Parts: sequence; C-alpha cells; structure tokens
Amino acid sequence: MSNDTTTRTKSAGVAPEKSDRTFWWWLSVWTPYTALMKLVTTSPRRQFVILAAFPILWVLTQHLGPMLQMLRVSLIDAYPVAPGVEQHFTLDNYARFFGERIFWQPFFRTLIFAGTLTFCTLILTFPVAYFLARHVSRKNQLLMLLLLLIPFWVGEIVRTYAIMILLGNTGAVNLVLKWFGLIDRPIPFMYTSFSMGIGIVYLTALYMLLPLYSALEKLPKSYGEAAADLGAGAWTRFRRVTLPLTLEGISSGCTLVFLISTGFYATPVLLGGPSTTVFSETIAGFFHVAGDEWPTGAAFATIMFVTAMLLTGIFQKLMYVLRKGDTK
Amino acid sequence: MTRGNRILLSCIYWAFVLYVFVPLMLMILMGFKDSKFIGFPIKSWTLDWYLGVFADAEVVSTLTYSVVIAVLSTLISVVVGTWIAVLLEGRKFLGRAAIFGLTILPALVPGIISAIAFRIYARLLGIEPGMGAIIWAHAVHNVPFVALVVMARLSTLPKSQIEAARDLGADPIIAFLRITFPYLIPAILGASIFCLLLSFDDFVRSFFLGGYEPTLPVLIFAKLRSGMSPEINAIATVALVLTAAIGIWAERFTRRANKDTNP
Repeated sequence: MSNDTTTRTKSAGVAPEKSDRTFWWWLSVWTPYTALMKLVTTSPRRQFVILAAFPILWVLTQHLGPMLQMLRVSLIDAYPVAPGVEQHFTLDNYARFFGERIFWQPFFRTLIFAGTLTFCTLILTFPVAYFLARHVSRKNQLLMLLLLLIPFWVGEIVRTYAIMILLGNTGAVNLVLKWFGLIDRPIPFMYTSFSMGIGIVYLTALYMLLPLYSALEKLPKSYGEAAADLGAGAWTRFRRVTLPLTLEGISSGCTLVFLISTGFYATPVLLGGPSTTVFSETIAGFFHVAGDEWPTGAAFATIMFVTAMLLTGIFQKLMYVLRKGDTK
Repeated sequence: MTRGNRILLSCIYWAFVLYVFVPLMLMILMGFKDSKFIGFPIKSWTLDWYLGVFADAEVVSTLTYSVVIAVLSTLISVVVGTWIAVLLEGRKFLGRAAIFGLTILPALVPGIISAIAFRIYARLLGIEPGMGAIIWAHAVHNVPFVALVVMARLSTLPKSQIEAARDLGADPIIAFLRITFPYLIPAILGASIFCLLLSFDDFVRSFFLGGYEPTLPVLIFAKLRSGMSPEINAIATVALVLTAAIGIWAERFTRRANKDTNP
C-alpha cells in the first residue's frame, strides 16, 4: 500500500478523496500500468518510436506492399511459381500490350473517355456549384447541398441499375419521347458509349461538385462587384475573376473524377457494349481465369496506374502554373 | 441581367436535382410492377417483390454478410487511421511527407487497379478469397479517409489543453484518452459512418476478393447479368434505403456535433 501511495502522489499530484477515485485514478496506480508507462516514457525518442512503429509498418506493408507486389508479378514470366521451376525476369508482359490491338485500343478508349467525361462533368456541375455558392442564402445552402448528397450515398451498382431502367428500350426516356410523339420506335440508348457516359457522370458528379463548391464559396462576392464597378461585363468578370480564383477547385475536382472514372469496372460491364470495352474489363479478363495470366494482368494494371498518375500529375502541374501565372 | 442569370442558374440546379433523383425514383417505382418484365408503362401494381425480399433467405444472409464485413473493416480502419493521424498531425520528422503520401495512396488508386493489387497481395499473404480478404481490402482502402478526417479535427485541438493535462501529472496515454480522444469522437464517428457506407457499397474489391458467398452489391450484379427483374429493384431499394438513411442521419449528427464544439 505504501508503494501505491508514492506512485499516486507522483502521477496525480494530489491524492483524491476516496469518493473521487475514478477509473483514471485506479488506472494510474495500477502496477502493471505504471511499469508500462515507465518503460514507454523514459525518453522522448523511445516514446516516438513506439508511436511511429505501427503506422509506418502498416503503410509500408499494407498501402505500398500491394502495389509493389503487383509490379513484381508483372515482371516475372509465370505466377504463381510452380515448385521446382525457376522464375525469370521478363518484360514480355508489357510487350504484349503494344502487340495486340484488342489490348491497346481499350486503353486509349478509356483515357479519351475519362478525359471527355471529366470535362463534361465540369461543365455540368460548375453552374450548379456556382448557383449554390452565390445565389443561395447560407442557411439554404447546406440543405440544398444535402439534397444532392443523398443519392450519392447509394452504391455504384444500385445507381448503375437505375440508369439501366432510365435508358432501356422500354425505359422512362423512350416512354416520354414516345408520349410527345417525337419517336415511333424506341432509341437504343443502352450498351453504347452514351449510356456509359451518362452512368459514369451520374456516379462521379459529386466529386467534382464538392471541390468546386468549396472553392467558389471561399471567393468573396466583393471581387466580382469590384470588377463590375471597374466596368467589366459578366463574361469578363467570369473569365478574369471567378475562373482564375477557382482553378484550385477545378484542378482537384478534375483529378478526382478522372482517376475514379478510369477505375470503374461494373458500370462499363453493365452499361456498355462490345464496342465500348474499357481497359478495366481487359485487365479483369486476366483474373477470371485460373491464374496463369496474372503477370500480364498485373503488367496492364501497372501501365494503367502509371499513365493515370502521370496524366493527373502533368495536369495538376499545368493548373498550378496557370494559377501562379494569373495571380502575378 | 443578374435576375435572369439567377433564374437560369436555379433552373440548372433543379434540373441537376432531377438528374440525380429521377433514376432512383424510377427504380423504386419499378419494384411495384406486377409483371416479370422491367419497363414502362406499369399497368398493375403489387407489393410482392418487396415482401419477397425479406422472405428470401439468400438476400437476408447476404445482407447480414455485407453488414458484418462493413462493421469489422470499419473498426480496423478507424483504429489504424486514427493512429496514423495522431502520428502525422503537428509533428515534424524525417520522412513525414512520404508517410503522408503513402497514407493517402489507397484512396488515389483507381478502383480496378486497387482490387487487382489486393487480389495479388492476398495470395502473397496467404489470405484465401472470402470474408477475411474482403474485410482486409476494405479496411486498407478506407484508412486514408479516416486519417484525413481525424487529422483535420486534430489540427483544431488547442495544444494548451494537452500541456495542461501533462502539467497536472497525466502521462501521455492518459492525456490522450482523456483529452485528445474525447475531442476526436465526432470526427471518428463521422469517419466510421463514411467507412461503413464505402464498405457496404463497394463492388469491385468485394468482387475480386470474394469467395462463393456474395456481398449485396455482388449479388445484385450477378442477378443483373442474368437479366433485369423487379426482384432486383426490390433488393436494390432495400440497399438504397439503408445507405441513404445512414447517410442522412450521419450528416445531421456530424453537423450537430460540430455545432456543439465550435459555437
């Protein structure tokens, strides 16, 4: 008991009355705990090592590990390695990509498609974000933003299915067009790049809307008023004031949407057709079979990842230069 | 001029609202159609498809499976993400930028590539496709979101509070548990709900890492590949109602929590 008393006075400063002895007090006088604390707190250096060891280990093995292993598998001739067989380093898996049209065509299609859709999403959501940030009172802003958030809580598959119902031959769009007498026969929207585009924009719009909204919301109204006082017209104000000051939001929104839309798998499978095969379907094809084609699949995934990262990196750099150039 | 602008912009906003809501509304509506074929017009109505969902043992067990995966993976993400956030926020050390970059890496990798990389790595680690593999992949994928949200919250904690606790004799662990952790609770809860939804809605990782038992999105996908039917509408609507309800509740909850602490 005397031992406890010394620990108590050291750790809690003042010994509390019996009625004030909380869980924390009991913890601070519990011998295994005090022993542990003595071990941990002897030096700031040790304290840091104990705090940092697990996160560093985690990000290296769990975040970086999968990507490195993918890279490694892409560079060997067979995976999994059969017992007794030596594995060889090879670049053949990468060479296969350039050799066949059915491989590189979906790749470029995906890039063009993702780029176009990113631009469309920007054009579509900019007025919405502008309206919310500029023309709506503070109180309604959150409500109206929340209204848009609700559908985005719903998953990828469910929303893709909803688009299938909207655009099918007996879908709502064709029904409405028929009512108005605009068409006699349903327009086959489905299984085209159009249906795929509508579906992907439907899935990604929020990732564009939120960065745009927060950039526009930060922009003081007085800037536009000042420009107007100096005689700038609506278009000039938009081009010379609003646009340059929201480039940061545009840049992060576009990066997010581009990266996300290159990674969709289920949506192109369900909404696209044979003429709109995207690269994620090509990659996935190598993983449906038993496993002997994994190195090729890994190589293709690596090509895709590196290209996507390079393109978004260059894009961000360009936007950065543009931003700095304009504020000078 | 400004007035005209305003009206035009508000029309665009409401058109956008229609664009995001109408497809889901139609999907819910179609679940009431008394026919096996999806499509308009709907001539007669029935509740059978919706009632059928809860009578279908496969759907119920899939739903449970998805929820269990979501909860377990969220628990892992929250612990790891908070730990990383505590390490990174407000501390300068060699390699901090690299650790931060690696922390957000899983959030940047496009879906299909992340699924493939996890599939390959799972084999290296000897994790069989199935529940464990899905939980692991979801947990790793969601860590960046927790870390970012918790770091944002942590950066607003006044340092003086920790110092005061330490001066009064609290050791680092007690200071964390009694000062830092309670302050982080709103952020941690918000991030958990976000992770729950991400995991519950995730298709691509569950698809490539799953065994024979499907999660709910994988089940809907499999059913869709063999043809559309009002049964799928009913299942999808259940998933929709569940996620939207949790999302709305979380939104209200986090807003109230923020109001309480930053008046």
